[in-house]
Amino acid sequence: MLRFAFSMAETTAKNSCIPDAHPVRMPSALPVFLRSFFIQAGWNYERFQNLGFAFAITPALRRIHGSGEKLSAALLRHLAAFNTQPYMAGFVLGNVVRMEENLAGGGADAERKMLEVKAALSSGFAAIGDRVFWGRLKPMTTQLCLMIWLSSGFYGWLLPGADSGPTAAVLFGGPLAGMAVYGAFALYLRWTGLHRGYACGGASSCGFDALNWAGLIRTLSLAGFAFSFLIVAGAFLLLWLRGRPAEAGPLPRIALALGAMALQRAARRLGRSIFSAMAAALAASLAAALLLGPERLRLYL
Amino acid sequence: MTMLIKALLSSAFAGLLELDTVQAGQFLLARPVFAGLILGWFNGCPVEGARMGILVELIYLDFIPVGGVVPPNGLITAVCGVLAFAWAGLPESVSFFSGVLAGFLYRGVERRLRSARSAWTAAVESGVRKGDLPLEGRLAFSLLTESAFSGAFMFAFSALLVLAASARPACPAALPAAAGLAYSLMPWLGLSGLYFRFRTQIYKKE
Repeated sequence: MLRFAFSMAETTAKNSCIPDAHPVRMPSALPVFLRSFFIQAGWNYERFQNLGFAFAITPALRRIHGSGEKLSAALLRHLAAFNTQPYMAGFVLGNVVRMEENLAGGGADAERKMLEVKAALSSGFAAIGDRVFWGRLKPMTTQLCLMIWLSSGFYGWLLPGADSGPTAAVLFGGPLAGMAVYGAFALYLRWTGLHRGYACGGASSCGFDALNWAGLIRTLSLAGFAFSFLIVAGAFLLLWLRGRPAEAGPLPRIALALGAMALQRAARRLGRSIFSAMAAALAASLAAALLLGPERLRLYL
Repeated sequence: MTMLIKALLSSAFAGLLELDTVQAGQFLLARPVFAGLILGWFNGCPVEGARMGILVELIYLDFIPVGGVVPPNGLITAVCGVLAFAWAGLPESVSFFSGVLAGFLYRGVERRLRSARSAWTAAVESGVRKGDLPLEGRLAFSLLTESAFSGAFMFAFSALLVLAASARPACPAALPAAAGLAYSLMPWLGLSGLYFRFRTQIYKKE
């Protein structure tokens, strides 16, 4: 799907339908933009985001069709099944608004084409959005939090008993920094997506050239890997220097950590969720407590 | 009594935050580390709340909410963990694993809520054909039920833990020690997921 989306992006980049000098702005975009935050409200198994989509597009449909039968017909069209990545919904919404404007006198063919374009865009943007947001940016907000905490000296999340009385600024700064970066990018895409989609409305490749998605995904993957490496290396260094029990030396501590990581990998390789690894860790800990006695285990806590 | 009121307020507030998970906004207000920290701070245990929250976040990186997938709920996990610690007085390690159980169980509630909403489209279509626009009311009801159900679930689950803890069952010393050791391994399980997620991505041809 992503390859399909990228091939469309390349095609569009060659024959871009977006005028660069004077980009077309979607009229009365604010109500649609604000309602797009509820695109997943009413999510259901039968038609997914259909209720949220119809809710978001209603102000634009009212502007285009007024009230009465035309508005009802338009709303019924958009109560069909719809599912995309929520932050990317603006691209589809803008495009559909433009197609609704051009629909007058188009007949059944124009309506069919609109629904086909809507379906193609929703799946294409879902594939991109899932990779950018769920697959990369969201885990990166966790990385950012960990890096802020590590650099501020708050190790309590990693080493039991190593809470150094972190300040409120450190505690809140970690999660809030990621939320700010993530939220700003999501807002930007939601807003520009509406206008981009509207500017090239009617084309099933519309909006795929808004950013170099393949490049962005690659860059985020590389950055994410670099941050992961730094965090894991820092965590092992801390374990070496500050882990417990101090008198036993670092090797038993490192062996325990590596064992936990191996459990996670084994669960993944066997196609099991992380819960299997957690259950195995609990079972092994219980066996160790029974065999060695709880007092010896407490040395590590 | 004060703790009961705090637990009620925490559950109600967490029920509102829960809307951010799927139905409204997605500003990451429902991310476990933020919810755990806020509610931990409110209940007098910000460090424990933050720690449980970040561990939930790391471990739940294993799940991606694409399409109709209902992953275990990170917010419910973190909040139930905090309430188990602050209200039920359980050790942090046991509280964390109780929260994981709550997040896992809430998947069933979430699936039922989504299934129940499947019947709404026919009713909305019927209303639109008659000239009504019933979407606003339906969606407001959807938000309200999600918030109420999740809030009630968190409160009920935590209250059950309080009852179980107050019954003081005979608990061998090995159990809390084992939970403690397993809890100390959780950051490494999560870090492994974090590392290999990105390592896989850079070797994968998109």
